[in-house]
Amino acid sequence: MKEWVKFALLAAAFAALYAAPIDAPIVVSSIAAGLGLLQEYARLHVLTCLVPAFFIAGTIAVYVKKEAIVRLLGPTTAKRIAYPVASVSGGILAVCSCTILPLFTGIYRRGAGIGPAVAFLFTGPAVNVTAILLTGSVLGWDFAVGRLVAAMVIAVLAGLLMASLFRGHDKKNADGSFAAGMGGDLPYANSTVATFFLLQLGVLVVFGMSMDPLLKAVLVVAMIVAALGIVFLKFRKEHNLEWVRETWDLTKKILPYLFVGVFIAGIIEVVVPEEVVTGLVGENTILANAIASTFGAFMYFATLTEVPIIHKLMGLGMGRGPALTLFLTGNALSLPSMIVLFRIMGTRQAATYILSIMVLSAAAGWLFGELL
Amino acid sequence: MTITVLGPGCTNCRTLERRTLDVLAQMNVQAAVEKVTDLDGIAAYGVMRTPGLVIDGKLVWQGGVPSVEKIRELITASR
Repeated sequence: MKEWVKFALLAAAFAALYAAPIDAPIVVSSIAAGLGLLQEYARLHVLTCLVPAFFIAGTIAVYVKKEAIVRLLGPTTAKRIAYPVASVSGGILAVCSCTILPLFTGIYRRGAGIGPAVAFLFTGPAVNVTAILLTGSVLGWDFAVGRLVAAMVIAVLAGLLMASLFRGHDKKNADGSFAAGMGGDLPYANSTVATFFLLQLGVLVVFGMSMDPLLKAVLVVAMIVAALGIVFLKFRKEHNLEWVRETWDLTKKILPYLFVGVFIAGIIEVVVPEEVVTGLVGENTILANAIASTFGAFMYFATLTEVPIIHKLMGLGMGRGPALTLFLTGNALSLPSMIVLFRIMGTRQAATYILSIMVLSAAAGWLFGELL
Repeated sequence: MTITVLGPGCTNCRTLERRTLDVLAQMNVQAAVEKVTDLDGIAAYGVMRTPGLVIDGKLVWQGGVPSVEKIRELITASR
């Protein structure tokens, strides 16, 4: 940063503070609402949902065998296998967004081709474990499942569409090496890893259920003890350290943005007039879903921040259909990600991808709003 | 010897770069360490899961951060 830029920023901040109507009712109530929502999240969701969710994501990053999955996205895999694998693997292979784009580029240029690559690109951010779990904890599990299923279906449809429109693309792909990885998968039985994963998921789910507090405490403690038993008896120390490091890394990356997002969501509730929300996206119409879809496509939501923001928009009267639509495009598309896409795929393919995701998401949201 | 670290710039790639530099210093090996961060450049090596490690133009590792011992092994094998 240049010195004069620093000075300008400082001067602007000072001028804003000098002139700001700090004690105006709207400012006071905005800040109070932001803090209030932060407290709500801190009390209801941090320990019971986010902490287990980060450990689960860490488990996936370290213990789940990824090479076998990546191999299924290679150039020789049958399409009927590659598509479903691509549409679910986003949640397993790409816990953080910086792994999505290299994998996408690899599948697109060297692997199973444009269709599965697109399916993977869409579900990478949309079928994110922590995001699905937080959605369930805040908005209810019907929403979480709806989000998950809709994302997978849209991924396959968009992939098939792209593959049929740009048939020529994959012919150029045939040569070249495709290496799934050399890390060597960890020497643990699938059943051990699955049990470990399910125990942690169990902690999160039991926390969220309404039951006798004593029973709940017993169950949670039992599952934590069992999970720790696996950690100490079955897993090697170096891998456990990796697991803790990965979990901590994700927490550091995601939590600060989430807190900012929650604060903003609290302010939205005060600042945005209810009539605007109900007028634009209150009913489950085609137009309302199209508005939600377009807004989500251009808006950038840092991982997880879509949850509190959509939560509060629904409090202001946003319909369930448009809310699901916003979940789908809000995560998968943003202005920065579009720019990268145009660079990798070229104008025609990128524009087609973005448009088809917007249309399919609006359709899925509308359907969700009509049926459930 | 030229060592290339492949990765778009996330924590794992930085960890790999730091460990590689540490190992080189320990082994007293002179090598130029460079980074490839653009996605097409990474894909050109056939790398799917970052970070990846390339020694003298040959891909020797990808798909996770290797341990310090493993890096030492890879460098020794390439000399």
